[in-house]
Amino acid sequence: MKAWGVACMADLHGIILAYHTAPELGDLVRSRTSASLPFCGRYRLIDFSLSSMQNAGVRDVGVVMQRDYQSLLDHLGGGKEWDLSRKRGGLRLLPPFGNLGNPTGEYEGVIEALCAVESYIGNIKQRYVVITRGNLAANIDLADVMARHLESGADVTAVCTPHIPRRAHQRYITDGGFVKELLYRQGGRGAGYASLEMYIMSKETLLGIMERGSSGRKYRFHRDEIAGLLASGGKVAVYVHSGYARHIFSVGEYYKASMDMLDAANRATLFPDERPVRTKDRSDVSTYYGEEASSKNCLVADGCFIEGVIENCILFRGVKVGNGARVKNAVVMQDTVIGEGAELSYVISDKNVEISPYITLAGSPRLPLVIPKMSRI
Amino acid sequence: MKRSCIAMLLAGGQGSRLYALTSRVAKPSVPFGGKYRIIDFPLSNCANSGIDVVGVLTQYRPLQLNSYIGSGQAYDLDSADGGVYILPPYQSAGERGSWFSGTANAIYQNIGFIEMFDPENVLILSGDHIYKMDYSDMVKAHTANDAACTIAVIQVAMRDASRFGILSAGEDGYITEFEEKPLRPKSDLASMGIYIFNWKKLKEYLIADEMNPKSSKDFGKDIIPEMLRAGEKLWPYRFSGYWRDVGTIVSLWDANMDMLSPTAINLYDPDWPIRSKSPIKPPHYAGPESKIVHSIVTEGCEIDGRVENSVLSSAVRVGRGARVMYSILMPGVTVGEGAVVEYAIIGENTKIGAQARVGSGPDGSDSWNVATCGPDIEIGEGESISPGAMIYESVGGGLHG
Repeated sequence: MKAWGVACMADLHGIILAYHTAPELGDLVRSRTSASLPFCGRYRLIDFSLSSMQNAGVRDVGVVMQRDYQSLLDHLGGGKEWDLSRKRGGLRLLPPFGNLGNPTGEYEGVIEALCAVESYIGNIKQRYVVITRGNLAANIDLADVMARHLESGADVTAVCTPHIPRRAHQRYITDGGFVKELLYRQGGRGAGYASLEMYIMSKETLLGIMERGSSGRKYRFHRDEIAGLLASGGKVAVYVHSGYARHIFSVGEYYKASMDMLDAANRATLFPDERPVRTKDRSDVSTYYGEEASSKNCLVADGCFIEGVIENCILFRGVKVGNGARVKNAVVMQDTVIGEGAELSYVISDKNVEISPYITLAGSPRLPLVIPKMSRI
Repeated sequence: MKRSCIAMLLAGGQGSRLYALTSRVAKPSVPFGGKYRIIDFPLSNCANSGIDVVGVLTQYRPLQLNSYIGSGQAYDLDSADGGVYILPPYQSAGERGSWFSGTANAIYQNIGFIEMFDPENVLILSGDHIYKMDYSDMVKAHTANDAACTIAVIQVAMRDASRFGILSAGEDGYITEFEEKPLRPKSDLASMGIYIFNWKKLKEYLIADEMNPKSSKDFGKDIIPEMLRAGEKLWPYRFSGYWRDVGTIVSLWDANMDMLSPTAINLYDPDWPIRSKSPIKPPHYAGPESKIVHSIVTEGCEIDGRVENSVLSSAVRVGRGARVMYSILMPGVTVGEGAVVEYAIIGENTKIGAQARVGSGPDGSDSWNVATCGPDIEIGEGESISPGAMIYESVGGGLHG
């Protein structure tokens, strides 16, 4: 079974769409795209897609980027961490090339983004392609998705979740594992599975979809092209991923997903032992807890120095919490320093923030306070 | 390609005084200080000192060490024309291959390797010390004093001196005497087991020593005394920073405890990072009922009990109601619910059953000691391990898993 999976995998190429900057993420994406948003103490969102691919034996991955990609470039480097630093293939970063599309705005849709790197896609050596968005926090067993795709004989296999998001999304009503109906939903209840906008298909199918989409100026992959494929008698199979999976488009979703990580059941499906999530290594020391420290229901990365009280928090690498400081319900990104006696609740502190002693900062569960990168407060 | 200095790291020793902890792995790959293995210190020192060729001589249980070091990527030593080379004993055509019979013999057997780099000097290191040292500064002193050999030395308490190689220096500063573990030490200058040799000279002495049937083929016992007898210039390079031998259970425990006071050895220094191959684990989780005080905790841990004055490596689990005090828990250790671990070292992936008790605090008696459990074993539910015990095999129930 394993050997079968691996044999298939050599024939799968990864494409990660990392050009999008979700406006509702506000200050959190001031200098980065959604895909390079720090998440869960030591990761960037794109690590989940890269690791899902790596764990399935995918050796060639293209990352489609457009603007504000400095932080992404810095994070990905040559792709060593994900075993993608290769003589042939490996990680390929794909900024816009030439004057395709519109140079000032963001790509209008997935199709436009893919067409901007058309020559790259045309040169893909593998027979199959997996496409995903870089802002998906999910650990997908792609080897299994691929095996089921081949078994089903579908044109496209769409990875879905039983978790129905509140925001607008594509919903699939299925029959015997295939999509019967495609719905565009604003959220809420009802039958079906929500699309995780991750697809496996053959390279030919993808090129065909791109061709139809660009000639008809229909750039929405999910809404236009999958619907078009169904209408023309194509078969779309649904693969239900039952583990944790969230797309992160807003501060509220980011905060909620961060707090979800305090639940062991969610962590178990996002970080299973057999499919580790890799990220850029920093070589931090272990975290030190001082004599007066207290930590309840917290996730804490390496390199922290904790002398105060933390509760319901996510601490990234290298965070310092001073004596007598109290930090509750907060996400504190790397190298932030919280002065002694400071009190924080419902706060998302970006990287390298400095909070002076005895300052009080409070947001609310609905509207956590975002402190931008490098702020001095 | 010509190098001014390359390093040879002696990592083949068993470390027999660590007993159960080195029953399956060589001493240099014993976990240390939460994130590290002992060998991370000399390898990081090499990388930070600009030494980009390191030969690692392995012999005893090298498997884990080999896979841990890999290409040396973690230390940034995976360069195109240098890097980390694992050097096991080997067999040449027409000869019977043989094991390294001593530290000097290990280098002798790798003369061919060293010659590939045509080095001016060779730095000899061992894999059982915790310290940060700029070897390039030592090379400078070696060159400035036109020495055939420079030995790094540190001042030790007179009462401890007989545990070390002790040397004396004359008025001109050069070494006049060297004695390995003397009964009556004449000075408090201890050799740190770090040598720089002029390679041409060392090669001559190695070849001569190999011919001597009476030699034990050891640097401290044979090569250095022979160089002194021959009137070579040997220079002591004084080092005053943090340096600990971790060759015994007690010294390993002590040095780990030093990690709890950042003043002992600063591992936060961005200019001198100690690198390690990090395990791929999410951040550690401290549960709602956990209590972690004056301890270090590493990624991948899940803590639901109490942890005080302890060092936890990656992926350690401490169950509800469990207590871990003054202990060192190596990667993957599980402490079951309600279990108590005090003054103990627990080897990798060992499981301490629920309500079990391992070790206890000092009781003032001479026989008291730190309790040690080897790697990959299980201490059954409710079992009790007395202080000072050395446990190699699983104890009590739960043996069927």
